[in-house]
Amino acid sequence: MATDNANADGFGEVSRVRGIVFEYLSLGASVFGLVALGVLLVYVAIDAFDLANASPEWLLTYFLTLVVPFLAFCLYSADDAAVTRRALGALGGGLVAVAALFTAIEALVVPIPRLNWQLAYLFVVAAPVTAYLAYVGSGGRVGAVGFGLLGRLVGGVAVGLAAGTLFLVFDPLLWFLAYTLGVLPAVGLYALGRLRSSPRAQTATVPVGLVGLVAAAFLREVVATYPSDLLIYLWTIAIPVAAAGALLVGDRRGRTAAVAVGGAPLVVATAGGFLASSAGLPAPTVLLVLVLTGVPTAVYVSRVVDAGEGLAGLGLPFLLAGGVIAGALVVQTFGFPTPEPWLDGSFLTAAPSRTPTDAGLYPAIVGSVIIIALVAVLSFALGVGTSVFLEEYTPGTGPLGTLTRILQVNVANLAAVPSVVYGLLGLGLFANLLGLGIGTAVTAALTLSLLILPITIISAQEAIRSVPDDLRRGSDAMGATRWQTTKNVVLPEAMPGILTGTILALGRAIGETAPLIMIGAATTVFRAPDSLFSRFSAMPMQIYTWAGFPQADFRYGVVAAGVITLLIILVGMNGTAILLRNRAERGS
Amino acid sequence: MSNTTSDDSLITTEVQADSNDDRAAPAAGTAVAARDLDVFYGDEQAIDDVTMEIPEKRVTALIGPSGCGKSTFLRCINRMNDMIEICRVEGDVEFGGKNVYDGDVDPVALRRKIGMVFQKPNPFPKSIRDNVAYGLKIQGFDGDVDARVEESLKGAALWDEVKDQLDSSGLELSGGQQQRLCIARAIAPDPEVILMDEPTSALDPVAASKIEDLIDDLAEEYTVIIVTHNMQQAARISDRTAVFLTGGELVEYDDTAKIFEDPEEQRVEDYITGKFG
Ligand SMILES: Nc1ncnc2c1ncn2[C@@H]1O[C@H](COP(=O)(O)OP(=O)(O)OP(=O)(O)O)[C@@H](O)[C@H]1O
Ligand SMILES: [Mg+2]
Repeated sequence: MATDNANADGFGEVSRVRGIVFEYLSLGASVFGLVALGVLLVYVAIDAFDLANASPEWLLTYFLTLVVPFLAFCLYSADDAAVTRRALGALGGGLVAVAALFTAIEALVVPIPRLNWQLAYLFVVAAPVTAYLAYVGSGGRVGAVGFGLLGRLVGGVAVGLAAGTLFLVFDPLLWFLAYTLGVLPAVGLYALGRLRSSPRAQTATVPVGLVGLVAAAFLREVVATYPSDLLIYLWTIAIPVAAAGALLVGDRRGRTAAVAVGGAPLVVATAGGFLASSAGLPAPTVLLVLVLTGVPTAVYVSRVVDAGEGLAGLGLPFLLAGGVIAGALVVQTFGFPTPEPWLDGSFLTAAPSRTPTDAGLYPAIVGSVIIIALVAVLSFALGVGTSVFLEEYTPGTGPLGTLTRILQVNVANLAAVPSVVYGLLGLGLFANLLGLGIGTAVTAALTLSLLILPITIISAQEAIRSVPDDLRRGSDAMGATRWQTTKNVVLPEAMPGILTGTILALGRAIGETAPLIMIGAATTVFRAPDSLFSRFSAMPMQIYTWAGFPQADFRYGVVAAGVITLLIILVGMNGTAILLRNRAERGS
Repeated sequence: MSNTTSDDSLITTEVQADSNDDRAAPAAGTAVAARDLDVFYGDEQAIDDVTMEIPEKRVTALIGPSGCGKSTFLRCINRMNDMIEICRVEGDVEFGGKNVYDGDVDPVALRRKIGMVFQKPNPFPKSIRDNVAYGLKIQGFDGDVDARVEESLKGAALWDEVKDQLDSSGLELSGGQQQRLCIARAIAPDPEVILMDEPTSALDPVAASKIEDLIDDLAEEYTVIIVTHNMQQAARISDRTAVFLTGGELVEYDDTAKIFEDPEEQRVEDYITGKFG
């Protein structure tokens, strides 16, 4: 009876106010942070590309020739009437809303500096809608193919440029010997072992490779004559990449297709390399870019054609290139006023200069790329090694266990040490004590590796710890040694997590300035570094220096261009690493 | 003395007789023997002075209430207890006439001769083929790996279900298939003894009965030592049964039929009939 009465009045209410307030407060705070960052980036982009001087006609032209076709492509791929309606609604409604709001604010409240309503529309409505539609469109078959192809083109160019940059510093002749004597025989043996399924050949791989590498190091000084750089890259990179592509395709589509996929890009790249060398361009880089773009693209196209789905997507690069050309033609014919972006080809390939218009970032880009490559390798190897040792090898008790615990606590503390202190350490230890030189690329790379090492170690430990113990016991019970269990079971499972941590840490390293200042890195260098021991500058250093120049053009235009370049390289690097990680995740 | 005091009959005598027919006749040699075995976790004793001989090419079941040390005993045989830091073993465990706790025994080499299947299926996050070939790979097997993989999967009664998807992940299989994959993985390097710790407790009855049939076949070639909480299962599949009771004491160890039909000890009868435990 009593319960009946209580139920008749309902169950009462439990207050949720505090939870809701907390939820909205934290949401509000993060939205505020993101919006502030977004506004900053919009202004930086406007400065870098000189969009403030873009005439409405110019904007409209490119909107029609480039953005609209791209949106149409995405909508076609998504093939969803609801999405189309929503997108058109957002674009149209956004136009009215932004124009009205913008004019109202300018008229009634304050004038908004260096923005007009067209630009506001571009950033507030067009860009998000484009991003959203690209996301939706990539879900469709056509869009997936289009973005896949685009990704291979852009990725190939980026990897080619990065490889070309690294060879500015690393000795190609040594690489030539190492490849010929070590890498090639080892890979050959491994393939043979796979083919004949003979583990003996496979186990011989590592020793053979090592012997080859050591021999290469010895012979470097002994051998006097070497082939030209172009031939070295052709032999050590272009031909293997083409062969790998041919093998990938040959498995399923037979010989002709394999020869076409591997051979055609190889021929084009070789021709491009020789033409470039006679035209005075850096021939090796041209060769690398062409072959690293061409082969993956050819493999991808052959796969898509094979699958026979979403073929229309292959047109996306042509659509975009056509849009740019058409836009340029229209702008030229009608003589629309064109912005003069600070961030253009010459900014990326020129050395710093006193005049803002001539200033370039090239030496600093090369410096940063080299340092980051070294830091990535060093911190990954050290981080994984240390964390495997700490997690898998040390017992929990006894003197060694105590030592491990002390180490553990200190690693965590090291992550909190300010970066200036690491700079000091680098200066004292690497530059002076080990004599690697003040302000050299190795010193910088070692210092930055040390700086992010705690972060990589901790995240790698976290990843290793999250591998279920069941798997370890399963492997142990099969009679695997500790090392075999680690190598075959633990590390493959932990790899995605380890890579995530390393990516985040690298992002931090690429933007650091304080430790570079401490180890005496140059604020400005006029030539790209050509060895690990030459003086270098890095992008953040150079940008920081420009920010202190008296001319406004430097402080706004050139700095903005530098920041955008830094961000693009950072995002590109992280994107590649994330793609690799997702691959690793799917592989397991 | 009949033990059918509980309402569900525990013995399926026909099945029992069948399995005994298969491998009857001459008394088998001893595969594994424990002598005066004591195991401690810190100060706590988990195995108390156990002496028993486990015949080769037979199925031996270990039963007993939770926490009585069955898993601990099993782990002594392939020295997986070494991984537990606070665990201390005294006494002998003989395998192939050699005490596995002798100083010159390499536990890793020992485990290559003794396969183990765990309670929860734990296939590696690798392809089915790589799972089965794992033991071969780490032991540097220098023969036809693919043939061995096929043979082991057939031995684990899984071949027909997976032969078209050897390259897909082992984690994509059902629980029962995963457990058979783990059995295939354990038998691929051709061990002498297979230890199973409640291999069917995470499975439904159909999957479990498949594994029971499989265990019956495995005993033709391997010595199988299996821990189980399922009395019917022990009665159906095993030739010998060891009953452990709380405190790690081996109370009775005899032919399965004897244990289930006419145990010597009152405590064993009480446990089997569900009066306690
Ligand atoms: N890793 C360990 N550390 C400490 N004590 C343990 C450990 N493993 C087991 N023990 C203890 O040893 C005793 C026997 O455990 P064991 O796991 O061998 O029992 P079991 O018979 O397998 O039980 P179950 O049927 O529940 O699996 C228990 O008292 C348990 O608390
Ligand atoms: Mg147990």
